[in-house]
Amino acid sequence: MLAFHGKIAISQHPREPFLPPPLPFRYPWTMRRIITLDPDVKFMCTLPFSWTMTEKLRSKLLFEELVLLSDICLSIYEVIFTGLQGTLLLVGDDNIIFSSLMGIGKWGDLKFLNSMETTLSLYYISFPSTARRRSIKRVHRETSGDERGEDALGGAPAKECAEASGGRVYTVVVVEREDDLGVRVVVGKHRHAWIVGKISENDVVSLIGKVFVKYFMNGGKKVGELAKGIGEFVPVGADGSVVLSFSLLNADPSDWVYDWKFKEMSNIMLTPFVKALTPIANISIESQVLYHTPKLSQSYWDEKSSSHIFSIRDLPFFVNSNEWHLDTSIIAAGRSKVLQFVVYAPSASECPLLLQLPNGEISMTNSFISPMWGGVIIWNPPHCAGDSHNTLPPQVRLSPIELQKIFQVFLAQLRMLFGLKSNYIDSSETGISKFLDSESGFTEWELDVLYRHHACFNLHSCVTTLESLAKLVQSLPRMIIMDEIGKQVKFSLEAANLAQRNASLGIYDSSASSSRQAKVLAEDAFFHPSIMSISYSSIEHYFAIYMPFFAPVALHVLLAAIKELKRYKRERAKYLAFISEKAKMD
Amino acid sequence: MAALCRRFTGFHFLLVLVSLSISSLVFGDWIGDDEGEQFTEELLLKPLPDRKVLAHFHFQSTAHPSPDSGHHHHLFPKAIAQLIWNRAPCDAVGHFMVQKFQIRDLELSFTQGRWNYENWGGSDPISSTNAKPPGVELWATFNVPVVEIDTTWKNLTHALSGLFCSSINFLESSTSYTTPSFVFGLNVSNIRYGALPREAVCTENLTPWLKLLPCRDKAGLATLLDRPSIYKGYYHSQKLRLTSTKLSGIILEQTLTIVLQPNIQRNSAHSLLDGAIQPSWSISSMFKRNLTGSCVLARTSRILVELEKNIVSKLEELGHGGSWSNSLLDLSPNPFRVIKEVNPFPEESNSILFEYVNSKEYEPLDVGIKWKLPFVWSSPHAPFHASRFLMGSGTERGSIAISLQSTKSDEYFRSKSNECRMQAVVFQVVPWYVKVYYHTLQIFIDQKLQNLSDVIEKIRVTPSEDKKLPGTLELVLGYPCTVQSVALTLDFDKGFLHIHEYPPDANQGFDIPSALVTFPNLHSSRIYIGDDSSVHSPLLLKFQEKNVVLSYTEVLLVPFTTPDFSMPYNVITFTCTVLALYFGSLLNVLRRRIGEEERLMRSKDANKRGLIPSIVSKITSKLRGMPGSKPLLIFAVVLSVLFHYIVN
Repeated sequence: MLAFHGKIAISQHPREPFLPPPLPFRYPWTMRRIITLDPDVKFMCTLPFSWTMTEKLRSKLLFEELVLLSDICLSIYEVIFTGLQGTLLLVGDDNIIFSSLMGIGKWGDLKFLNSMETTLSLYYISFPSTARRRSIKRVHRETSGDERGEDALGGAPAKECAEASGGRVYTVVVVEREDDLGVRVVVGKHRHAWIVGKISENDVVSLIGKVFVKYFMNGGKKVGELAKGIGEFVPVGADGSVVLSFSLLNADPSDWVYDWKFKEMSNIMLTPFVKALTPIANISIESQVLYHTPKLSQSYWDEKSSSHIFSIRDLPFFVNSNEWHLDTSIIAAGRSKVLQFVVYAPSASECPLLLQLPNGEISMTNSFISPMWGGVIIWNPPHCAGDSHNTLPPQVRLSPIELQKIFQVFLAQLRMLFGLKSNYIDSSETGISKFLDSESGFTEWELDVLYRHHACFNLHSCVTTLESLAKLVQSLPRMIIMDEIGKQVKFSLEAANLAQRNASLGIYDSSASSSRQAKVLAEDAFFHPSIMSISYSSIEHYFAIYMPFFAPVALHVLLAAIKELKRYKRERAKYLAFISEKAKMD
Repeated sequence: MAALCRRFTGFHFLLVLVSLSISSLVFGDWIGDDEGEQFTEELLLKPLPDRKVLAHFHFQSTAHPSPDSGHHHHLFPKAIAQLIWNRAPCDAVGHFMVQKFQIRDLELSFTQGRWNYENWGGSDPISSTNAKPPGVELWATFNVPVVEIDTTWKNLTHALSGLFCSSINFLESSTSYTTPSFVFGLNVSNIRYGALPREAVCTENLTPWLKLLPCRDKAGLATLLDRPSIYKGYYHSQKLRLTSTKLSGIILEQTLTIVLQPNIQRNSAHSLLDGAIQPSWSISSMFKRNLTGSCVLARTSRILVELEKNIVSKLEELGHGGSWSNSLLDLSPNPFRVIKEVNPFPEESNSILFEYVNSKEYEPLDVGIKWKLPFVWSSPHAPFHASRFLMGSGTERGSIAISLQSTKSDEYFRSKSNECRMQAVVFQVVPWYVKVYYHTLQIFIDQKLQNLSDVIEKIRVTPSEDKKLPGTLELVLGYPCTVQSVALTLDFDKGFLHIHEYPPDANQGFDIPSALVTFPNLHSSRIYIGDDSSVHSPLLLKFQEKNVVLSYTEVLLVPFTTPDFSMPYNVITFTCTVLALYFGSLLNVLRRRIGEEERLMRSKDANKRGLIPSIVSKITSKLRGMPGSKPLLIFAVVLSVLFHYIVN
């Protein structure tokens, strides 16, 4: 500093006699020019560095793999259904050769699935295993009774076939036999169906096709129906758990108060159901009894049926969200899903209360579901004439028989909420004579359909979640992303790949559970608390902070640079002129 | 069906019984009984000396221990049971295998207003259990391993704040809760205590609280809770108390204590005395609602009217012992039963409770008192009145003082003054930014400074840790009963907070939660004449418990230095300006060739000059005779400062 002051002092000596300075006969490239241009150059050079210094910590997300996965998931249905393996077992008296020939000849037609390569293998009766022969004979003997045939098929042959192919095999047994009942088609509760009776080869093929495509593949729904409303029938929370909350609502306890022994009945009827759905979701069951819970909309009195009628049209106004305080579960915190099942005991003034279908008929079950919310059953007390002069209302516990009926409706509602049909009575026109029921409420092939459906939905939502996370991350380049999120994304992708591998091998339950895991991890990554509280500093903020320094500095630097450049040009011109003059002179 | 019919016949039989004698409070086969769930509702009304009325609602739900706790409930609120029971992982079938309760005791109170210990009583059961500090107070004892307590507490605060629509989750951070060791009578480490003095309490907290009752406010005593009338009161405290043991299951007590000012009902006969006479009141006049019928799910539903012993002694002087209709006051309608307190001192008079059974009737039960003569009495006081205040001025330091003033009310202590020794426990939690110097503790008894070791029987101090722990002081004082006043002072410094730590509206100041003063050798238990049916009343059972007499002090408001919150930007701009100026001048000094410029100027001289340089030169020549860069520099400084000022 002092030195500079000194310089200034020397140059500013005005009183000294003026000496003409020497002419600039040097090339005009001096120290001052370097000083002036130095900050400009340095600023330009360090700009990229300083920019990267303001960048935030970002974990590396596996975008490439995500893209790969999403590519695969475009054909997700096909991927999942290639695993479908079928077996056709022909049981005949002597003309087996004919049947098998017929079968081989017609398999080409069964390839209606286009891209879906359904592998169907044909087993001959002449297989060396004596056990098989014995069991097939048993089948032959016992297919007259459906249940016993089921047992016979559930045993040795199906298992052996399954072991032979490594996955789960769907079996259709054709038993060629004269029968009084004509042709019978029975879909069993495991993974098989059988056709009994004399039947032409064309019919056999079309029947088998029906059974495979309509039931084993699509669970009784039309092809593509499941794919369309993909999210609608997956009432599972983002953390892979479902709380089934059962509530008994007493609309007006001053008329009567009903109570139930829920636990006992739930152990009998709901436990197998919950067990069957374990790969899809963590299910927990709760129950409560609530009081003073009137419905929202009014019903009208119908003289003909001497009951109060509530038409389907008004159903959206049945659930009274002001008074029905159903949502009091702490277990269902966060992102889990609660399915509400409500038994509504109407008050004496609106008893009996019946639901009317749009075609004017009265609902058989007196109940309805609301997809993704749950179901409501209206249960009318047996003696509707409430004695309003009582000082004390009757307090009754529902009898086990009544409760069992209610639970049957619950199970049907649950099946519908999970996207299956409540029963197959309506589908009898397809030529299927009988469906066998299972204790858990789901047959094995239905469960397979459910698992496939859930695996597919989970993978789909996993991919969309990760994609939107990727989009978010890419759109906010200044956002902090923790390593943990990167890890979660990685694990999620791994689980998704595992789910796909399992699905292609036909192990649907583990495919469903690992796809669930993939979804949960993806959701965890998306809803990570560090993302929720984005520490996002806008460009305006930077501008406001750096402007007060850089604007005045830049002004000085640029002015100086312009002046110096001007001077340089001028001096250079002078110098060049001097050089040329000198050359002339020389 | 057979069982159903039997049930019906049994019920009709009971009906006959009930109509024969309304006194039969046992209503037979009640819902939830065999599941071990019960619900009772009670209301206590009590005239207060300062022309106000205390209404104390007491709802109690019990759930006997069962493996279904938290999953299947009939009367007991499911959410509360889920709070108490540990959420153990499910097994494959979805049933919770290990059932273990994690909270042994819990008390949560929401209070608006301050309990007036002088006028409303300080040593009766209501004041010792239901007088609460303003805002939210939460304490809980846990039944989990010590390492898990803090996590359980955090989960609990979040669950409660979700349940009650309040900001209890602010108690989650370790700066806001503490672990008292002996204040709550238990020498345990599994207790956590936290308070939010500034929490506002209103209907959004009451509605979820009412949701926990099986009848909500649709039937029973809770129908009286007309929001405008109860929030107009002088004191409003809603409390939730949970106790769970392996033997008795979970007991949930929900109490609502309100102090209301009844409207003065003009009485033509005594119009001259209206100013002096106590206002007459009834349930319908106070709550603006009529009480018709009970909650059908309640096992008992009753209303109690209490007359304090000072009123009773006056009545006895006038010659009407326990009558409800006399020359002083008229209680209407006639009570169903009179319950008298038994006092250990036979020479004194006792309080009286008049009981009304709230059964399903068609005419409303409108309990009320009509005063006939002017009458003044006082409520039973605690032996010492506790208050707390701040001393000192400025925003740098100050001191906290807690004073205990003798109320000179208790003859009992006066009588055996010589050997009597009083104990008082002081519990005070101070946020970390109020840096208390505990070594400055001074205790004055009757204005005389005492040697600490003479007065303090036990002391436990947890010093505060910056941004981690609040400071906690627990102190047992022992002094003779004859003492008139006890005062404690503690000095403190006001800390500096990071800019992010200031709450919104920081200029209002910071609250220090109420200190708690308890008198461990005084109990507020009451004994009632042994009547079997009174045992059925959970409220009276509560009154018979041995509760320590306690009082909460005021909340302190400490003003803090609050920074100008735009300061960082100001600092940035000013520093940058200075740096930019320095840089600019330095650059100029290095770059400019003064001699050359002068020569240029001289050669050009007057003929070729731009507008700005000419103005500048004029100004500079006017300012100072000498040319050069100094005035230019000054001018640039002024200009740039002006520029920055405008920009900012």
